[in-house]
Amino acid sequence: MKINYLFPNKYKKIGWFIFIPTLILGLYTVITDFEPEFLDVDVFAVLIEGIIQDDNRLFGFVNNNILNEILGVLMILSSLLVAFSREVDEDEYISKIRLESLVWATYLNYGVLLFAFWFVYDLTFLWVMIFNMFTILLFFIIRFNWQVIKFRKSVDHEK
Amino acid sequence: MKNSIKVERAKKNITQADLSVLAKVSRQTINAMELGKYVPSTVLALRLAEIFEVEVSEIFKLEESDWT
Repeated sequence: MKINYLFPNKYKKIGWFIFIPTLILGLYTVITDFEPEFLDVDVFAVLIEGIIQDDNRLFGFVNNNILNEILGVLMILSSLLVAFSREVDEDEYISKIRLESLVWATYLNYGVLLFAFWFVYDLTFLWVMIFNMFTILLFFIIRFNWQVIKFRKSVDHEK
Repeated sequence: MKNSIKVERAKKNITQADLSVLAKVSRQTINAMELGKYVPSTVLALRLAEIFEVEVSEIFKLEESDWT
């Protein structure tokens, strides 16, 4: 009954604080291919694909610009905090909105992917998939917060 | 499902805001229940019954449409 898998309310603010700059910087790097040199490092990899199939190997080091890894991790963690922190006035009605929004966001996210399967190809499809990783939480955050604001504003027929 | 929360509230002479504090939910949730837009959990229904000092079945009534 008491377990709801949510973070305490204060984490929502922390989440927004990381989420917004990460989103802006993330979009900027996507648009401009921004890859600062100091982030070019050798990183450990579990699966490494060679140019020809024989070159495929397990475990090793590869050189990689880690800006997108950093942004991806920050993006996912901050989205999770924003999405799944308790509201100050979290009650069973808000839990209902939470559930409905999660279902809605899942449908929308896979709807976009289903569309992209058939109408978007090659590298462009890869981009859709990359965005799709983040949009499920983004769709949820938008829909949930919008519904909660609407709920809080709902006029009462008092007395 | 029909409910008589509004009536019970009037009998006790308390506002939606008062009731929301007693029942530990938001005022909007009380409002949504009174308007029949929201069916509360069993726990909340029992809390309301205790607050109003009546049986749950006196506040909440099934309707024909609840069977379909």
